[in-house]
Amino acid sequence: MSDQAFDLTRRSFLDRVLMATAGAGVAAAAPWAVSAANAASAAPMMPATGDRVRLGVIGTGDRGRALIRNIAKSRNCTVAAICDNFAPHLAKGREIVGASVPAFADHRAMLDARGIDALVIATPLNQHARHATDGFDAGLHVWCEKAMARTISDCGAMITKSRAANKVLQIGHQRMFHPTYLNALKRVKAGEIGEITQVRASWHRNNSWRRPVPAGTDDRHINWRLYRESSAGLMTELATHQLQVGNWFLDAVPTRVIGSGSICFWKDGREVYDHVALIYEYSGGRKFIYTSLLNNARYGCEEQIQGSKGTIEPELGRIYAEVPPKVLALQRMHQDVARGSKRTVPIGGATWFPELPVTTPGESLGWGEYDETMLQFEGFGEAVRSGKPLPGLLAQAYRASVASLLGEQAMDRGEAMTWPTSLVEV
Amino acid sequence: MAGSADIMRFAAMGTRVELHRFGDGADAALAAARRAIEAVDDALTIHRPSPATAMNEALLAGRTAALEDELLFRAVEAAADGHAATEGLFDVAADLRTGTDWSMVTFDHAARRIAAERPIALDFGGLGKGFALDRASAALREAGVGSALLTAGESSIAVIGEHPLGGLWPFSIPHPEQPDVELLAVELCDQALSISATIGAGTRAPERAAIVHSRLGAAVTLPACAVSVEPNATLAEIMSTALLVADQQAAARLLRDRVGRRFRFDLRLATEHSRKCA
Ligand SMILES: NC(=O)c1ccc[n+]([C@@H]2O[C@H](COP(=O)([O-])OP(=O)(O)OC[C@H]3O[C@@H](n4cnc5c(N)ncnc54)[C@H](O)[C@@H]3O)[C@@H](O)[C@H]2O)c1
Repeated sequence: MSDQAFDLTRRSFLDRVLMATAGAGVAAAAPWAVSAANAASAAPMMPATGDRVRLGVIGTGDRGRALIRNIAKSRNCTVAAICDNFAPHLAKGREIVGASVPAFADHRAMLDARGIDALVIATPLNQHARHATDGFDAGLHVWCEKAMARTISDCGAMITKSRAANKVLQIGHQRMFHPTYLNALKRVKAGEIGEITQVRASWHRNNSWRRPVPAGTDDRHINWRLYRESSAGLMTELATHQLQVGNWFLDAVPTRVIGSGSICFWKDGREVYDHVALIYEYSGGRKFIYTSLLNNARYGCEEQIQGSKGTIEPELGRIYAEVPPKVLALQRMHQDVARGSKRTVPIGGATWFPELPVTTPGESLGWGEYDETMLQFEGFGEAVRSGKPLPGLLAQAYRASVASLLGEQAMDRGEAMTWPTSLVEV
Repeated sequence: MAGSADIMRFAAMGTRVELHRFGDGADAALAAARRAIEAVDDALTIHRPSPATAMNEALLAGRTAALEDELLFRAVEAAADGHAATEGLFDVAADLRTGTDWSMVTFDHAARRIAAERPIALDFGGLGKGFALDRASAALREAGVGSALLTAGESSIAVIGEHPLGGLWPFSIPHPEQPDVELLAVELCDQALSISATIGAGTRAPERAAIVHSRLGAAVTLPACAVSVEPNATLAEIMSTALLVADQQAAARLLRDRVGRRFRFDLRLATEHSRKCA
């Protein structure tokens, strides 16, 4: 894409974010997006290289490389160093950033070399807390991929640490910057789907989630998602995103969670569940009902946000009004009238209609090419410059991570787990 | 008639509502009619906080309730009129479980206040649907609509003006449990129709609560169906409910001079006789 064409899509993307957040009540429910989009809109077209926030990326695996590409699109950030302790992955990172960007096998060496303002963490979950702590200790701001950490107490410790260091901590939840989600929120705030009483979310895939292990490393390094030491599996990898959406749209945190998990299909030595089913309860009897599994992809990834007047499916980008089934006799009357014929309308008798899923097409929430991951970094760049975190973002991320880890505990113990009272204030 | 016709379908009053407009009238007519129905729903619902639940809370606590909400006031007024017009058969205060009824209620029309000598909760049931259809009909007429059909569920119907092809609107009402058996055929013009039955799919619907709650509990356990055609939908609801709960003598009084407009069917009788009015 030419620079000019990119500028246009960037402009229209930012406009969409600003338009969505201009709705009544939306700015208060997504203040981080307003701040980030405003800052991005005000950014000069071509800032001098020296004005950019210099980022050091730890972990140039799948996600780390996607982040590097998005950072390159941002106006106010640049990748100034990369790090990965697995040489082939570091080499792939270098292919993107070029040989002029210093590359390290050890993150400590990268920190010691200085030359960066902030750390971007895209390593396995159990390393996030340590890498973040090291970053704060080195006087850096930290941007870290979701989920926050492997334990609830480590999630809190990251926040405490960032406060003590007076540095920004931002967590990667790109849906929070996505125009479709922001539009969905706008429609909810306008009352279009009534009161939301349930969110039914799923992330269903049909693959083993297992990656081939190249020479020179081991299964636990590559397939860290499958082992309990390094991951809570589907909960921290997938459910976190959707729990964030649930908390956000229900405007609350859960009061309690019950769940059941099993290794049901992929009995290949993995330690994390390949099937999870949970119910998160919210005040007033509201619920977030969640399933994730790895051997059927029919229902894919979706959050069905259900209110008394309608439903929103943000992944599909659609909003549906509740439409009662038609009275068939009246439908026939209309056809008769159109044909100019008048027949008796049978009405008021036994009315039975099958309660099948409704398949009305609904209405689009707006699609297009989205750069929400880029916007996360523009927001982060602004936060680093001003020393002020994007408002509201960390609280959302913390609660999503806690919810995912609490769900893991509920499944492991076979007990309902109540929302912890000992969380760090955010 | 003009070629245009449009339909609006939505859920309200605990049932499905359909508004069919034919011919002339402002484009925004159906939207205005929908708003009228939703406003009645908001005022009378007992499924979420509303002016009606606030009133019931007061009455249950032994307090006098001020009827500040205009729609609630009009609905209470209609309920009081309905009670008077049906020898007390139509009764929004009747509750078999508590033994309460409208005679324990004091409705001060001039002061717009209501009180009860015992804890009472009013349930407008079908009256609410009729009232909503009347408000919607008024909105359509105001918007210049000359031909329309409105339903709330399949048991409450109102028509505005003539059938789009001219003349009366023809309806047939089947046996509540045997769709192939016709109980009755009626034709309407600028009128409303209400059907109440003690059997059939509709009786399981929550909006039929008014019938089940009636103090004449014994009468409503018999398989029966009542149909009433009246100048407005509120009255049609009141009359079909009253007819259903009436004993033989009371029913005869309500049916007198209303041949072809009010009907009561004893559904224990063989279906061959079903065309005969009770
Ligand atoms: N936001 C999203 O949509 C999204 C998508 C995918 C992954 N993620 C998150 O990104 C993170 C990484 O996931 P991934 O799929 O890229 O995993 P990955 O295994 O592909 O990449 C992790 C990289 O970290 C490197 N690494 C491990 N330990 C290290 C250490 N001590 N020092 C330096 N490098 C080290 C590994 O060699 C690997 O290259 C996870 O937290 C994951 O949840 C987020």
